[in-house]
Amino acid sequence: MQHESMVHALDEIRRTLKPNGILIDLRPVESNWSVEVSSSTGQQVAGRLNDMPMGLADDEAAFHAMREVESRGWYIKEKEDEFAFFYYWDTPSEMKEFMEDEWEDFEKMEDEVYLKVKSLWSQANADARVRVRVKMLITRWKKL
Amino acid sequence: MQKDPEGFERKILHGFVDVKDKHVLEVGCGEGRLTWKYAGASSLTVGFDPDHDALRVARADMITHLHESARDKSRGTPVHFANASASNIPFSKETFDIAILAWSL
Repeated sequence: MQHESMVHALDEIRRTLKPNGILIDLRPVESNWSVEVSSSTGQQVAGRLNDMPMGLADDEAAFHAMREVESRGWYIKEKEDEFAFFYYWDTPSEMKEFMEDEWEDFEKMEDEVYLKVKSLWSQANADARVRVRVKMLITRWKKL
Repeated sequence: MQKDPEGFERKILHGFVDVKDKHVLEVGCGEGRLTWKYAGASSLTVGFDPDHDALRVARADMITHLHESARDKSRGTPVHFANASASNIPFSKETFDIAILAWSL
């Protein structure tokens, strides 16, 4: 979504909110998410993904839009936090296929990281899965 | 593929906002993955998304969740899914207590 569209959408949401209504903005942010192997015996980090320009631009547009609606006096920020959201796959190849299909424009896994995660996974316990640690941002805004 | 089996998203969402007995609008609900993590407590939930295919999944899953609600008499929340875009939200002003931008900004 482009910046102007985001600001317009935030105005539409504001219109439908009751006085003092609450807006929760919940979204992932690019942050070279880590690729890990997880099993009953623990976790190992294989490496990190590379943020792609489109994902970084989307994040900047979203932050810019929220700054703008705050400066217009439409909303005031009440609370913000970060947390981890994990995607799990049974095998490294399933993870790679998903990334190439769904995250092509946002995250890229270098061959070196893929080889490392395959190696760690093959040596880990039988219950080992691979996962990506996505950085999430949650913000609570109040309508003014 | 499995998303957030630890339930971190649900836990932090409930820590950020109390949806009990509230009217909630979810913007960009997609297949309703997040919707069912809070809708049981709200008095009304409306999720909308421009993606017809995603909404088809959300509506199909509703049958399962409504059956779960029917078993728990304390639940039984009206949930509606609509095909719409955030550029023109098809509701009158001051309808909702809470709006959730679900991975959509």
